[in-house]
Amino acid sequence: MKKEKVELTAEEKAKKKAKTRAAIYTHRGFYVMFLPVFIFALIFCYAPMVGVLLAFTNYNGIKAITPEIFVGLENFQRMFSMSAFWTAFRNTLEISIIKLILTTGFAVIISILLNEIISLKFKKVVQTIIYLPHFMSWVVVASLFSLILAPTQNGLVNTFLVQIGVLDSSNMIYFLGSNKWWKPVYYIINLWKETGWQTVIFMATLSGLNTDMYEAAGIDGANRAQKMWYITFPALANTILTVLILNLARIMNLFESVFVLQNDAVLSTSNVLETYIYYQAFNSGAIPNYGYTAAVGLFKSVVAAILVLSCNELSKKVRDGRGIV
Amino acid sequence: MAKEKIDKRYVNKAHIHVFDVILVIFFILLSLILIIPMWKVLVDSFDLKTAYGMRFLPAEFGFAGYVQIFTNQTLYRPLMISFFTTIVGTCIALILSTLGGYVLIQYEMPGRNFFANYLLFTMIFNGGMIPTYLVLRAVGLTNTIWVVILFPALNVYNLVLMRNFFEGIPASLFEAAKLDGCSPMGTFLRIVLPLSKAALASIGLMYAVSYWNDYTHYKLYITNSNLYNFQMKLRGMVQGSEMPNISGGLTENTLQNAAIVIAILPFMILYPFLQKYFVQGVNVGAVKE
Repeated sequence: MKKEKVELTAEEKAKKKAKTRAAIYTHRGFYVMFLPVFIFALIFCYAPMVGVLLAFTNYNGIKAITPEIFVGLENFQRMFSMSAFWTAFRNTLEISIIKLILTTGFAVIISILLNEIISLKFKKVVQTIIYLPHFMSWVVVASLFSLILAPTQNGLVNTFLVQIGVLDSSNMIYFLGSNKWWKPVYYIINLWKETGWQTVIFMATLSGLNTDMYEAAGIDGANRAQKMWYITFPALANTILTVLILNLARIMNLFESVFVLQNDAVLSTSNVLETYIYYQAFNSGAIPNYGYTAAVGLFKSVVAAILVLSCNELSKKVRDGRGIV
Repeated sequence: MAKEKIDKRYVNKAHIHVFDVILVIFFILLSLILIIPMWKVLVDSFDLKTAYGMRFLPAEFGFAGYVQIFTNQTLYRPLMISFFTTIVGTCIALILSTLGGYVLIQYEMPGRNFFANYLLFTMIFNGGMIPTYLVLRAVGLTNTIWVVILFPALNVYNLVLMRNFFEGIPASLFEAAKLDGCSPMGTFLRIVLPLSKAALASIGLMYAVSYWNDYTHYKLYITNSNLYNFQMKLRGMVQGSEMPNISGGLTENTLQNAAIVIAILPFMILYPFLQKYFVQGVNVGAVKE
């Protein structure tokens, strides 16, 4: 069709308007039903979006002493000159990405192996057990591991290492308070908590897999390892991609898991953007500089938005047009 | 029947291979890695002596830790707050997701696309921690119990899951309801919700878990320790700053472990019965989207 601007006559316009009005009238009940959702989003999502304008001020919450004034990009200049900010940014990316790769990788391996278990009952029991830690809060997991990893007689891991002679009882390792150990321990705790749950989605894919393929491969003389490598693993490829994309979109949101496992001794190793903002705003002891922390937050939100949009495009490309937002 | 208990692929298999044995051993070890930390906490919570190392059973068995939690006001108050916010929050969150999901499937409604984009945009961009905190403070929600109930109640991701589920309801049912003169709200209550019990259970459980486990929202928006939930209290206890005065015969360690058990307990009890719904929620979201 030729691209021709369709000029509506006044009559047609009026007709269309009347039609819309009628549709609005017949749907009036739905508008009322949407109202609560609309208000929640307005207050809890959109109002804070307007609030990002604080990033261009030096607002500190005490208007009477220092009136909030527009400072342009000063907060951003300050942010980019702070080494603590860059450490937090690098840590956010590093910790999220390594965590994502490790958890997904282990989950894939475990799913492939679970798929090989002959007894369905045993499989069910194992699945039930490995899903469990996902439902524990990060506070519980942090409490549990800080007791287990404690550098005292009470700490299970240290006592064990002393017993087998790796350590002697006078220099036990404070795993969560050591810059050397914090990250590895953080990854292990994440694996402990989330790997099992990650297998849920892979197992769902595998449950839809046609068993004829295994039979056919068996007739062709393929052994178990070959079947796992050439049938099970490729069957998961799409799901793996989906999981990676979905999680990549959210990597900037790292907060609670890091926050509950870190302490002052390991701040430089463990600080991520969200915890950096938290400490700058609520825990620095001085008057909180909301302007500066809002600027860091805005930077984080913009990077996160770019990631979400790129992952959305990526998802559309590799998943037949299905986006993630 | 044997057929139901064994993977179809192996029904005709003559003998068990070495690999199968290794596999079973591997998964038993894996399960142990997951269970041992939980077992230690459980054992220590019943052990009145401070237990060093790993024990299979408590050295001196007693309920003192649990008794303390249910009798010490500074401990059971947070527990009650956890129950209250979980129940009320889950209800409100479910109401919002179902209402929103239902409106989003009204494709003939003028403004439907605007509403959809209005919600989807919140998944792409957010104001960040500090502006959000300042807004919540400005509307007077900080330091009230409502902030931890209302603020997390709108979860657009779960709302979209609900919408996806509603889209599976046959259009003919909606037509029939309309012809019978059923109002939108009537259709919602009499047709949509009764047909969505599975989705309500799955998504409701996801909400309940996140309300029960909530720590971040309390940490950010509540400074009044009378409003802390059990997770906050547990955190304070393990960090040693908020240990309540404990009466004789009970060690800090026992109490901490008992608190961890209590913090896990509700979902550990529900989990075996509701595992289907827990698992379903994930699959609805990621696979069948």
